[in-house]
Amino acid sequence: MSTSTVAPEIVAFARDVREALADLPADEVDDLTEGLEADLAESLAEDLRRTLPDPVAYAAELRAAAGLPTRAPSRGLWGGLADAWRDDVARTKEAITRSPALASALAFFVPLRPVWWIARAWVAIWISAAAYGDEQGFAFEPVWIVPLLGAIVVSVQWGRGLWQFPRLRGLLVVGNILAGVAFLPVTLSAYGNVDDDYVRAEYVDEGSYDVDGLAMSGEPVTNIYAYDAAGNPLTGVQLFDIEGKPLVPNRDVDTTSIQQTPATLETGAKVFNVYPLALTQMIWDEFGELVPDPDVDPAKLAAYANGPFLRVPAVQAPAAVQPTEPVAPLNE
Amino acid sequence: MDATQLLKGVLDVAVLAVVEDEDGYGYDVVRRLRAAGLEDVGEASVYGTLRRLYTAGALTSYVVPSEEGPHRKYYGINAQGRATLELQRKVWAEFSTTMNQLLEAA
Repeated sequence: MSTSTVAPEIVAFARDVREALADLPADEVDDLTEGLEADLAESLAEDLRRTLPDPVAYAAELRAAAGLPTRAPSRGLWGGLADAWRDDVARTKEAITRSPALASALAFFVPLRPVWWIARAWVAIWISAAAYGDEQGFAFEPVWIVPLLGAIVVSVQWGRGLWQFPRLRGLLVVGNILAGVAFLPVTLSAYGNVDDDYVRAEYVDEGSYDVDGLAMSGEPVTNIYAYDAAGNPLTGVQLFDIEGKPLVPNRDVDTTSIQQTPATLETGAKVFNVYPLALTQMIWDEFGELVPDPDVDPAKLAAYANGPFLRVPAVQAPAAVQPTEPVAPLNE
Repeated sequence: MDATQLLKGVLDVAVLAVVEDEDGYGYDVVRRLRAAGLEDVGEASVYGTLRRLYTAGALTSYVVPSEEGPHRKYYGINAQGRATLELQRKVWAEFSTTMNQLLEAA
């Protein structure tokens, strides 16, 4: 029968059994487990209520039935640690399957494993990119895209049990755990990067909002007083930026205590980019509300209305607008 | 004494014996062994033994399609398997006679 019809839990179980036999020579493992998936599918089909047994115990039984010794214990410190880890994992798995609540929680997370396969590839590449300072928020410099795709392929194939790396197993398991531990800090760090960019972008963007409006050297600009070439004050001057956006003053009355009155266009729209704007001095009343100051100095109001200067020096004859190509004299 | 320990040494001959008269698939062999009194026989042991005996050339194997479930892999004994079984029958008979005498005499 083809492997494609074998249930994924059987494939995973068979993989765990083979892992538990990994200390044996490869051909011995093949002898013991050849057709294991099909046999498991058959035995499960015989009794529908049955669940898969513990793979480590199953492997031990295969080993014993074949007259092979139990897993060689003298495998040095790392081998011993790996065995202990495997035993713990096996016991934990068994405990989980015995508790209905844990089992259903596990059943919920098992289909999400592919998400982790991709996430761990991303974590690995993100950390690598960060080591070169190439990370950009959740992403990185384009040169890292190819390693990322490669890491995803390897991670997913490993997760599906299609690619086994018997010699690198310990390294991969440790890497998997490290990726799990690093996932949260890396995500937070990546998010922090994004956040910075976001805040910066937003700050620039807010020039278009009424609330912020114009500023000069960081100080709010509450009004603009324009003078013509002769130096005389102008009224009703409409200002726009290079994109046609109205240049509106800073209208943060909380900070400036000055409230602008919008001008009305012929369309009926009330706009704030018509200068100079009529200003009202505001004050906090006893109820903590901003109200027009009833005792404002009339001279201040006059200055608000007339601007800082009654007249400014005239602009010299416009030398700058002369054509760059000299005009030929008429009498030649 | 744990019977499962004893079983390890004789599982090959037990499996050969239950497929001697009639071919069987894995779970079927498990059931026959249990019905014969080896209640504690493990499924993994039986499947593993079938695979090993097949690899060793003592069994033939063929797949029978099943309508309601996965296909069943049947195992049948062949000439080499019969020879192995006969040999091990004799070994077992001698061994068990020796053991019985030893235990009764004690």
